[in-house]
Amino acid sequence: MSGLSLPLLALTQPQLEIIAVAVVVSAACALSGVFLVLRRLALVSDAISHSILLGIVLAFFLTHDLASPLLMIAAAATGLATVWLIELLNRTGRFKSDTSIGLVFPVLFSIGVILISRYAGNVHLDVDAVLVGEIAYAPLDRLSLLGLDLPKALWVMGGVLALNVAFIALFFKELKLSTFDAGLAAALGFAPALLHYALVAVVSVTAVGAFDAVGSILVVALMIAPPATAFLLTNRLVLMIVYSVGAAVLSSVGGYFLARFMDTNIAGAMAAMGGVVFVLALIFAPDRGLLAQLLRHRRQRWDFAARLLAVHLLQHEGDADAQYECSLPHLHEHLRWTADFARGVVQLAQRQGLVVCGGEQLQLTEPGRRLANTVLGQS
Amino acid sequence: MANRADVPAVATLDVTVAYQEKPVLWDVDFAVPAGARCAIVGPNGAGKSTLLKTILGLIRPVAGQIEIFGKPYHRQRRRVGYVPQRGSVDWDFPTTVLDVVLMGRYGHLGWLRRPGQAERGMAEVALMRVGMQDYIHRQISQLSGGQQQRVFLARALVQDAELYFLDEPFTGVDITTERAIVDVFIEMQQQGKTIVAVHHDLETLKDYFDWVLLLNVRAEALGPVADVLTPENLRRTYGGRSGLIERGEEQQ
Repeated sequence: MSGLSLPLLALTQPQLEIIAVAVVVSAACALSGVFLVLRRLALVSDAISHSILLGIVLAFFLTHDLASPLLMIAAAATGLATVWLIELLNRTGRFKSDTSIGLVFPVLFSIGVILISRYAGNVHLDVDAVLVGEIAYAPLDRLSLLGLDLPKALWVMGGVLALNVAFIALFFKELKLSTFDAGLAAALGFAPALLHYALVAVVSVTAVGAFDAVGSILVVALMIAPPATAFLLTNRLVLMIVYSVGAAVLSSVGGYFLARFMDTNIAGAMAAMGGVVFVLALIFAPDRGLLAQLLRHRRQRWDFAARLLAVHLLQHEGDADAQYECSLPHLHEHLRWTADFARGVVQLAQRQGLVVCGGEQLQLTEPGRRLANTVLGQS
Repeated sequence: MANRADVPAVATLDVTVAYQEKPVLWDVDFAVPAGARCAIVGPNGAGKSTLLKTILGLIRPVAGQIEIFGKPYHRQRRRVGYVPQRGSVDWDFPTTVLDVVLMGRYGHLGWLRRPGQAERGMAEVALMRVGMQDYIHRQISQLSGGQQQRVFLARALVQDAELYFLDEPFTGVDITTERAIVDVFIEMQQQGKTIVAVHHDLETLKDYFDWVLLLNVRAEALGPVADVLTPENLRRTYGGRSGLIERGEEQQ
């Protein structure tokens, strides 16, 4: 392997290839994940990523070749069967959806585990690889196509990513309608059930590809965290898809360097970074973030107090003891405001042009009087 | 052959629907003449929404026949508009008012084709008709219940259908929205459209609709509101639990 290296980060070609695989895997997962999150099917990705193991094992017994494309087809079929079984249990009306999911996939997954450990112990399908994947070894298994010698995982996941992009780009309108309003989609003849299973098939194929790289448990993290992050950042579906891929790329590249820095498992670090990126969005998102909510809440509290002040002044405007009622110390007593808060509110009300202050004495301005009147009129 | 004008906008014959052996609709014969404003009225669990969904092919009946302007629904999709219950969708979905209204054009566009300038123009006109033109770029989670309902109505308007089904359009909306919706209903009727809506309020029935189906699993009564709204029919439908029944009897 030639040693292409970047001056700043000093990455070897295998390292670059691992990063490329990580980015492509997480971008593909993030794309199909957007619609899972919006359809409240997040746990279905967990079910699929586990039960496909059974499909992979069965196909391996048929072909004795881990590289066979049949593995992917079998895995997709297992994914479809999983979702179908879950819905079958749901339809009995005796179980809630989470119970059905919890019943179906462990059974299929455990059959897969039993088959591997009993009959396939000597091949590279081992339980460790199933759990956390082997992205670090991706550069070792290579494939030359079109004169390009790249890791096989990059070819496979490149194809899976292309499938995701094509599926969403082609059926964007149909996916949007059937996700938002399945009833209307059905009434208009858009076959939401067909789209649903098409989405499940795409998710299954994506999960098989990602499974090789990051293992069955972490696939869920890649499918759910980036879309959930994106959901906090935008009100537009197109942007949610774009941001979701952005968050995925960020967490996979960040995860790679975290793993290198801590000398730890790459897939684990990628998933952990996904969690970090999500928490950052949860705190700092411009509109739906916790910080924005806190600030909005505080601003509302101050605005409300300023309005209250205007109303208070209006009500005592003509009073005999107006001089007393409208003084700053009195606010502290009458409205139960602390001295600091009262001073702050008066300053805010002055800035907003609602009151003017002459010494201790407060007076409503014309806009302040209008505001107070509308507030009273509304209540 | 019946005269074309005599073909009902929608007709069901002996429709029976069951969830897990429990009948929800039993032998329902229902027909609405073209150009009517028809309410479907009945107690909770009477099968009102189920009847709409069955007509629209969303639920498969155990038995019975359904015709829209004399043909099966799947051949008449473009002549039918549908407004589901407001609560049936997720209003946190990342999209705007304009986008939701454009969804009403999807049926005409068919698979793969995207809405363009023409569709956008129709959406703007429809939003104007329901008084929501100022909200066109608003994120849908910021709408009040009444505004959500008006957006749904605008979406139905751009479907440009002849027959409209609305599932509880007046539930949980403010009085301004209620009036706005009724005004649009009257406009639609003047354009020759047929309206079938699930309704709850017997008090406003006479003002908002001219045709009514009293439903309680069975079709208890069907016809012009004035003829159907008798104490006897209401007692059969509601089993004596309707406030209007007693008042009706006091007047007698």
